[in-house]
Amino acid sequence: MTLASVISTQRLTLRRPDPSDLPVLTAFYMGPRSEFVGGPYTENQCFEKLAVLLGHWLIRGFGRYVIQLGDKPIGHVGPLCIDATKAPELTWTLWDGTQEGNGYATEAALAMRDHLLKDQNWPLLEILVQPANFASVRVAEKLGAALTEKPAPDWYSGCLTYDLTTACFAGASA
Amino acid sequence: MSTTFAIPTLETDRLILRAHCEDDIATEKDFFASDASKFVGGPLPPHRAWRSIAMVIGHWALRGFGFWALEEKATGTYMGRVGLWFPDGWFEREIGWTLMPHATGKGYATEAGFAARAHAYETLGWDTAVSQIDPMNDASKAVARRLGAIFEQHFEDPEYGTIEIWRHPGPDARNSSTGKGV
Repeated sequence: MTLASVISTQRLTLRRPDPSDLPVLTAFYMGPRSEFVGGPYTENQCFEKLAVLLGHWLIRGFGRYVIQLGDKPIGHVGPLCIDATKAPELTWTLWDGTQEGNGYATEAALAMRDHLLKDQNWPLLEILVQPANFASVRVAEKLGAALTEKPAPDWYSGCLTYDLTTACFAGASA
Repeated sequence: MSTTFAIPTLETDRLILRAHCEDDIATEKDFFASDASKFVGGPLPPHRAWRSIAMVIGHWALRGFGFWALEEKATGTYMGRVGLWFPDGWFEREIGWTLMPHATGKGYATEAGFAARAHAYETLGWDTAVSQIDPMNDASKAVARRLGAIFEQHFEDPEYGTIEIWRHPGPDARNSSTGKGV
């Protein structure tokens, strides 16, 4: 089954990325908030980042969504699968620090979790978080994800790995 | 804007130029793991190789043109990629080619290069094109020569260092798009 092209939550709309997202994505990846995802990057690398975001959808048929608050894109959320032999990673990022503290990342990630694990019946999502990224650690916990002892991959050294399956939250949902 | 777009399929005597698929990427990962990728930013670990190809494919969505996967008609084997390239920061719109090690020496880059250039000139309306080549990459320069391109200048790329700019014959040059009778 193909993934929804648009997912609506109480306050947010999740939609597929498109070329018009380049300016806002560039502002994020060139800024200090990208430090937990390998940044900051050069302007040229930001173009490449968006191309990877778009290319992932084309190769896999799924990928990360842009989080839209009203008509303002504020971040991205969704599954990332670089190695098809491994479980997809559930990722989220708010691009602009002023949007933090409102529960937007949690709201978006919860909607993604439910769409992938419940609607699509995916068996497992992994969540990789740098331990110093307290805001993201809290989101992982709110999703009900279970911290594992899995070693960090070479490309993201030092990160914590959480597993997320329907068993993690089955009892908590209606 | 939308990400809905089609990657056109082109055909030459011996090759099909088409969109990439997952199996092609497995071959690219092996290529990027090896020293053979040294002229195109490698060697790279598998996760970066995958991103590199995802970027190649996403370029189509951003620009409306990009690299095709080369499939050998006779065998169905993935041979590499040839295409049209212009990410942010690039010198100029480029015709590029990268062959997998098993595909070299057969004239495939030249054959597909003619098809890609014809697409650039006849379908997209480009009025000129360059190829950026590592000064040490003699095999690639030989392809450029066979395509009728000539060395124009050096360029300092922030990531790749000194590269050579080779200028292709324009759309009005005699037979520039077919390679016949050159």
